Amino acid sequence: MKILTSLSIFFLIVLMAMPLLSQLETPPEGSQPKDFVLPTVKKFSLDNGFKVSLVNYGELPKAVVRIVIGAGNINESKEGVWLADITMDLLKEGTSSMNAGDIARKAAGMGGTVNTAVGLDQSWIGGEVLSEFTPDLVSLLAEILQKPGFPEKEFERLKKDYLRNLNIQKSRPQSLAQEKFLGVLYGDHPYGRFFPSESMISGYTLDQVKIFYGNNVGALRAHIYVVGRFNAEKVEKAIRNSFSTWKAGEESYVNIPEPQSKRMIYLVNRAEAPQSTIYLGLPVIDPTQEDFFPMLVTNTLLGGYFSSRVTSNIREDKGYTYSPRSSITNHFRDAYWVQTADVSTDVTGAALKEIFYEIDRLQNEAPTEEELEGVQNYMAGIFVLRNSSRSGIVGQLAFMNLHGLDDYLSNYVKNIYAVTPQDVQEMAQKYLKDQEMTIVIVGDPEKVPAQVKRFAEIVY
Amino acid sequence: MLKKVAILYFTGLMILFMSCDRESTSFKVPVEYYKLDNGLRVVLSPSHAAPIVTVAVYYNIGFRIEPKDRTGFAHLFEHMMFQGSSNLGKMEFIKLVQSNGGTLNGSTRFDFTNYFEIMPAHKLETALWAEADRMKGLNITQENLTNQQGVVTNEVKVNVLNQPYGGFPWLDMPQYANENWYNAHNFYGDLEDLKAATLEDVKDFFKLYYAPINAALVVTGDFRSTDAREMVQKYFGEIPATELPSKPDLSEPRQEEEKKVVKEDPLANRPALAFAYHIPERNTPQYYAMGLLDQILLQGADSRLNQLLVQEKSITSSVDGGINMLGSMFNYDGPMLWTGYLFHDKEVSSDSIMTLVNQVIEDLMTQPVDAATLELAKIKMRSGLYDSIDEYFGFGLADLLASFALFDDNPARINMLEMQFRKVTPELIQKTAQEYLRSTNRTILIIEPKANS
Repeated sequence: MKILTSLSIFFLIVLMAMPLLSQLETPPEGSQPKDFVLPTVKKFSLDNGFKVSLVNYGELPKAVVRIVIGAGNINESKEGVWLADITMDLLKEGTSSMNAGDIARKAAGMGGTVNTAVGLDQSWIGGEVLSEFTPDLVSLLAEILQKPGFPEKEFERLKKDYLRNLNIQKSRPQSLAQEKFLGVLYGDHPYGRFFPSESMISGYTLDQVKIFYGNNVGALRAHIYVVGRFNAEKVEKAIRNSFSTWKAGEESYVNIPEPQSKRMIYLVNRAEAPQSTIYLGLPVIDPTQEDFFPMLVTNTLLGGYFSSRVTSNIREDKGYTYSPRSSITNHFRDAYWVQTADVSTDVTGAALKEIFYEIDRLQNEAPTEEELEGVQNYMAGIFVLRNSSRSGIVGQLAFMNLHGLDDYLSNYVKNIYAVTPQDVQEMAQKYLKDQEMTIVIVGDPEKVPAQVKRFAEIVY
Repeated sequence: MLKKVAILYFTGLMILFMSCDRESTSFKVPVEYYKLDNGLRVVLSPSHAAPIVTVAVYYNIGFRIEPKDRTGFAHLFEHMMFQGSSNLGKMEFIKLVQSNGGTLNGSTRFDFTNYFEIMPAHKLETALWAEADRMKGLNITQENLTNQQGVVTNEVKVNVLNQPYGGFPWLDMPQYANENWYNAHNFYGDLEDLKAATLEDVKDFFKLYYAPINAALVVTGDFRSTDAREMVQKYFGEIPATELPSKPDLSEPRQEEEKKVVKEDPLANRPALAFAYHIPERNTPQYYAMGLLDQILLQGADSRLNQLLVQEKSITSSVDGGINMLGSMFNYDGPMLWTGYLFHDKEVSSDSIMTLVNQVIEDLMTQPVDAATLELAKIKMRSGLYDSIDEYFGFGLADLLASFALFDDNPARINMLEMQFRKVTPELIQKTAQEYLRSTNRTILIIEPKANS
């Protein structure tokens, strides 16, 4: 077996490096892999286009109900940033027959809460309740979506909360780095507008919210996921009863960006900051492209997990940082790759040097089979975990449906293992081009520029 | 190419659909508990929902009882457990777990330091071997210690020093509310203390606290207990027995006067407010009542403080908090606080907010709570308990079992919690509120923002 060989080689090297410990034990390999069965999804649609996915899963008597809507910040105008967020939040504040307190108490009585979340391409409303209340939660969510109250008083209250939270968020260095990074890559596209202005929020009217809701939320854009233990017959009946008459509305709005990136350092001043917050990255391919899986593996190996090269280097070897991480963020037909790290101010330049060193090393030399196989095993294991919790299953299904990837889950493991060391090197060359890296640093303007000016021109 | 995961498909109706009617469903966790000759507490809880296992080792050493001249050492030491053991060099423990398809972590809390792996089920033996290996002994170099002093310093910077509201209220509040040094020092550690740590400190600390007699091992997930018992004996059985370390007096005096602390925050631009009360001793009837008071007052949008301060008075977007800001009401062993906190605008004074808080709390002190409110609190508690059990695959369950094994010598307690909460009466809620939610049992922490805008 290959894993045995690779571990033996691994330990031989250790043996040579530490002659004093000549009798090292070899870790036991374990037994035979067990089959992992992806949960079965029962799918159907209502006549108005409302889509349904039901998954009976798990042992505990709970179920998650989530209605994912194909609308989000992508639907906002330049003058309407966060209008999607306020609109979704306002849903919880009342319907034609219930006020916010009624909704909260009703959900609490089921052992849950009603939550909403807004993303760039998708938003959702949902909750997690004790099994026996699953059909009731379906009905409650149906009323919230179809008979929103949009109460004026709660709208004014939410605006106040949004202003406060905007200010608090803007005091966090990681938010500032993200704002600048997305602004540089996406410019005027909705993906590039991270924060609204205060006057934007203050100026929003209830009419704008109602128009936004009317234009963007309806059965045709909605997909309900129910995952957990529940009475399938009753839940299906509740769905048919409460969503069949919802207006269909319009299909999702498509607006694919043309992101830009070139080698440049954007410095965001944070006086006397003890750390520099680094965002370094560029646009990459989206999940529908052929190179998607090789690129995923490349990201994991480079900076996407604890054993990765960048983490081994700037954390475990140099001690420059606590939580470095690289990741790929996917949008509809768009994606970007980014390496982030909060590093001590005095090693800002040294950290950048090491990050580029690791990217260049991967471009110049394919990883060994052993290193790659460790990454593949890790990704296959995490894939099982991702599909082994109620909300994890919803997330995976919603991801597939957004990107239109029918066999994504069934082929995931096969696709990960198909990647070769040469593929990884090729991906690094093809997509992680040094000369196109946008670098954002939130840090001390007195101490950072001198350390980093050799890497690129600095924009203040 | 070796496949770690085989995927099967089936399209038939092979999943058992649970027929649950209006009857509320109760859930029982399987618990097998025994001790090895060297004193190691072992808890096994098999379930076969997914082909994964969780292995968790909890050591009965939290940051509360770290050495007085070495604040932050319990946490720094947690990092050392990944830096090399008898058979695994630096990075090798982590690589072994990850390259076998698993994930892992460790954390330091009030009364324990934990280490866990979530693995594909067939790698159970690998994880047990690795955990046993580092319980047998560490192999740390000065270079690795220096490296992790750097990492931990950066951890403090990213979580506290370069963050607005850094440490608020989880790190700050215990320092102000408590009197006994063990409960009231800086758990993350003074940067000077962190720098002063030596290899000798690491050695001594390991010898004293990282012994089988002072630990609990929990395995949850997809395994057969006969197999697990054999492996546990094989890898942990031979670790020599040592004496149980003594534990200092952790008790807090009864608080008789309200405390008020103002902290300036140069990075924050909006004020924040937290209030904390010492709570009843663990596992007493009042303790369970306090758990329900937390549900009534603070948990969820329906809770009284959220309804008043968010919905009615528009002071904040949310009041958060609970019992044990670094865990849950179940995973600690000593004096503890119930904390609430919120962020607000400069135009609203903290005094006026506290007047509203008092109004809500006094209501619970002056009359027994109505039956519907108490019932709602119990439903929320039951649902929340299931969430804790289910948290992060098998880890949430392992956390509860390990805590009850270490602190109560009785992990089967997990199946009695629902009943304990069910026993709480409106009268007990009122009595508990009268003694523990007194304003004289309270510490108020005010964050004064000093940043621009």
